[in-house]
Amino acid sequence: MLQKERAKIALEYAKQSGCDNARVTLSSATQSSFTVRNNQTERIHQSKSASLYIQLFTNDRYGSFSTNRMETAELKKFIEEAVRVTKLVTPDTYRSLPDKSLYYTGNGKDLEQHDNSTSKLEPSQKNQIAFDCSSEIYKSDPRIISVNSEFSDLDDYFYMIDSQGFEGESRQSSFSLSCECSVKGKGESRPEGWWYESSIFFDSLKKNEIGKTALERALSRLGSVKLKSGKYNMVLENTISSRVIAPIISALNGASLQQNNSFLKDMAGKKVFDGNFRLFDNPHLVKHAGSRYFDGEGIATKPMAIIENGVVNSYFINTYYSKKLKMPVTIEGPSVPMCKYSESPGNNPSGRDLGEILKHCGNGVLVTGFNGGNTNSSTGDFSFGAEGFVFENGVIKHPVNEINITGNIITLWNNLIDIGNDPRTSSRWLIPTLAFENVNFSGI
Amino acid sequence: MTDTYQNMALFGVTIENLNKILATALSKGGDYADLYFESSKANELSLRDGQVNSAGTHVDYGMGVRVLSGDKTGYAFTEVTTMEEMIKAAKAASVIASQNKSRIDGFPVAQILETKAGNGYYPQTKEWEHISVSHKIPFLQRLNGKIFSSDDRVNKVMARISDSQSSILFYNSEGVLASDVRPMLSIVATCIMESNGRIENGSYSRSYRGGFEFLTNSLIDHIAKEVVASTSFLFNATRPKGGQMPVVMSAGSSGILLHEAIGHAFEADFNRMDTSIFSNKMGEKICSQEISVVDDGTIPFNRGSINFDDEGVPSQKTYMVREGILESYLHDRISAKHYKTNPTGNGRRESFRYMPLPRMRATYMENGKNREEDIIASVKKGIFALNFSNGQVQIGAGDFTFFVKSGYLIENGKLTQPVKDINIIGNGPEALANIVAVASNNIIDDSTWTCGKEQYCPVSCGMPSVLVNKLIVGGNE
Repeated sequence: MLQKERAKIALEYAKQSGCDNARVTLSSATQSSFTVRNNQTERIHQSKSASLYIQLFTNDRYGSFSTNRMETAELKKFIEEAVRVTKLVTPDTYRSLPDKSLYYTGNGKDLEQHDNSTSKLEPSQKNQIAFDCSSEIYKSDPRIISVNSEFSDLDDYFYMIDSQGFEGESRQSSFSLSCECSVKGKGESRPEGWWYESSIFFDSLKKNEIGKTALERALSRLGSVKLKSGKYNMVLENTISSRVIAPIISALNGASLQQNNSFLKDMAGKKVFDGNFRLFDNPHLVKHAGSRYFDGEGIATKPMAIIENGVVNSYFINTYYSKKLKMPVTIEGPSVPMCKYSESPGNNPSGRDLGEILKHCGNGVLVTGFNGGNTNSSTGDFSFGAEGFVFENGVIKHPVNEINITGNIITLWNNLIDIGNDPRTSSRWLIPTLAFENVNFSGI
Repeated sequence: MTDTYQNMALFGVTIENLNKILATALSKGGDYADLYFESSKANELSLRDGQVNSAGTHVDYGMGVRVLSGDKTGYAFTEVTTMEEMIKAAKAASVIASQNKSRIDGFPVAQILETKAGNGYYPQTKEWEHISVSHKIPFLQRLNGKIFSSDDRVNKVMARISDSQSSILFYNSEGVLASDVRPMLSIVATCIMESNGRIENGSYSRSYRGGFEFLTNSLIDHIAKEVVASTSFLFNATRPKGGQMPVVMSAGSSGILLHEAIGHAFEADFNRMDTSIFSNKMGEKICSQEISVVDDGTIPFNRGSINFDDEGVPSQKTYMVREGILESYLHDRISAKHYKTNPTGNGRRESFRYMPLPRMRATYMENGKNREEDIIASVKKGIFALNFSNGQVQIGAGDFTFFVKSGYLIENGKLTQPVKDINIIGNGPEALANIVAVASNNIIDDSTWTCGKEQYCPVSCGMPSVLVNKLIVGGNE
């Protein structure tokens, strides 16, 4: 049975079982990964999977159910039981399908999210790519202990319909190549370095220099020392800078706001952050992973300013929290968040890359990796473990480890020095190098 | 009829079918193959804004085929257990082995491990399958009422009861046939309090491998009491001055230190690959003679317990460190073969979608001889870490962290100012060597600990109160 027909049958079963409204999402994926360790194939993993997710809205009650057993008889029984269970919970009048006028209605240009190469690539070809990545560095340096490389691909299909007539589908592909390298350090220490590239299109995937970059990053960790506690300028490398964006995204979510668990509650329209901080969602970026025309409710996505010159411009509000908070629906969450420095007169219009930002900051700590930590969602207070490098006069001096960075997200973003121009296109979130001043580092 | 044969019926397979799939899996060579069948049903029931207003059920069904050839692994899974699809999966997994002699002559059943309900580490008296939503709703309502009535500052309560049951069937080319039924109950409550415009949040959870009999009013009342206490504590707490200082870890959830600081580094896959900071330390003294560290899969009804692991190996209590000496890594079949030792029952996986890896179960430190109050009294200036949330480790460098949700300053041997929201970072071997006192109050923590090494696995941890004489504490300047 075709997947679309299966989803339509599930919707029909829900109606037949006495359900007022329902949304059915069917997703299927084909994926494989080939892992090479020290120039020997270590693991091969191949799979196909599919699952059906159904959300039921009946008698002002709500339930969400999923199954990967989709034979007709089993599906019918599963949905009948789901409807019965849903009718047992307490009514919640805020639950409903969205306002139909907000649905994506089609006709958007191709976002170019899929490459057919997944089905054309032979396993031996995939294995060779992983092998070549490992071979770039294996035995190239006597300090190397282990080289692990992996090629993986994914072909993901998504189809959604609801009882109000919404119908949407999307197909995404992903090709990734990564390498992790361990080297002999001081005593028993074995510092690691990693690198990865990812692309929607096989031909666009960068397949060389990944092993070499992983090795360089591992070797750069040798001789790491503890940092003296104090306040420093902090530069966050573009590989990890999204760590200080994620708490903001979470705090802007309708669920956090409604549950009184957000440090950005009641901040809409207010200048909360540094005036040069701009955060956007660009959901229609062609050939970029994460781009989409509709969210999980079928609501049309649109480019939007989330933080505009330090002002909280928009929350992420879905239909449920729109009703509870009496706020307009926006979107359930960002698709492709992008962070930029203000284009105000006097600011460098083209922005700076990492090297230029280090020079601009002069002295401080370049953070290249986070290690644990957390953020208090109510207060924005954070404390993160980290590692990186001390830099002086814009030049990297030596690696540091076992450091804790402690502060508050709002305070941090009011101590902004710069937002770079160098987001990694391999990442869905386009967050470049970031620089802040006066940050608490705890060490020895 | 035994559970094993019931489970074979559940998945619609016979021994002949299983042997045929294994023969296909090993048709291109290889040393070993196994089949892992799983049928899981997980239920969720949520409370928000005073109402139990969301229910859910999630069904996952399928089987995985693994082929080992030396240290190499081929893995494939299917969600449809027809012979046609299982043979396809076996062929996909077989690709890993292309040199060894074919083994297509079938596999005799050499050993059958049967785990009947009532015989294992988590027998259920009231299976979740037979428990309606309406039986669970009153517990969430009680939890909500208890939390709100405990403190006027309570502003919001979110709570969730999750229960699941997984039926497992395992068969391998050594003839081991095993079956299991694995239940799990988790309850999580989150409380938001507001006072004079200041907001604090706290969570508390309990989790057990057990049936409906574990969901009791006394458990609900305990959760309500603890979540209110831990949240209200935060209103008086501040950030301490950061830096390197002595840290007293309180008994119970501080076992996350063991999980992150040394547990992962003792998982044998990292050691087999020579990437663990403990790779060359077997048999050596790595910490005080007072310290013994255990990974135990046999604690009745514990979240980390398993009757047998996901490679069919019976669960056990494994001493990783005994009286200060590194005695054993945590092995799956691959690493055990590499080290020419027996597997320790640590081959675990998130589901049939994943190949097993060496994973922890319940990791804890055995009791020492000190009293907690004496340990605190011995510290002039430091931190007493009370409640913990997440942690992380870098296996090669050995740097680990854990996040302290609440605790106290220790000043001149006394607990003084409450503190909160601080990350603590250290180096595994150094931290272990820097444990200078162990109390006699070991507690296994029953929170919903979940380990995220490549895949998610339920675990637990525990520890008596200990003094680590140097760790780096996050904080203000």
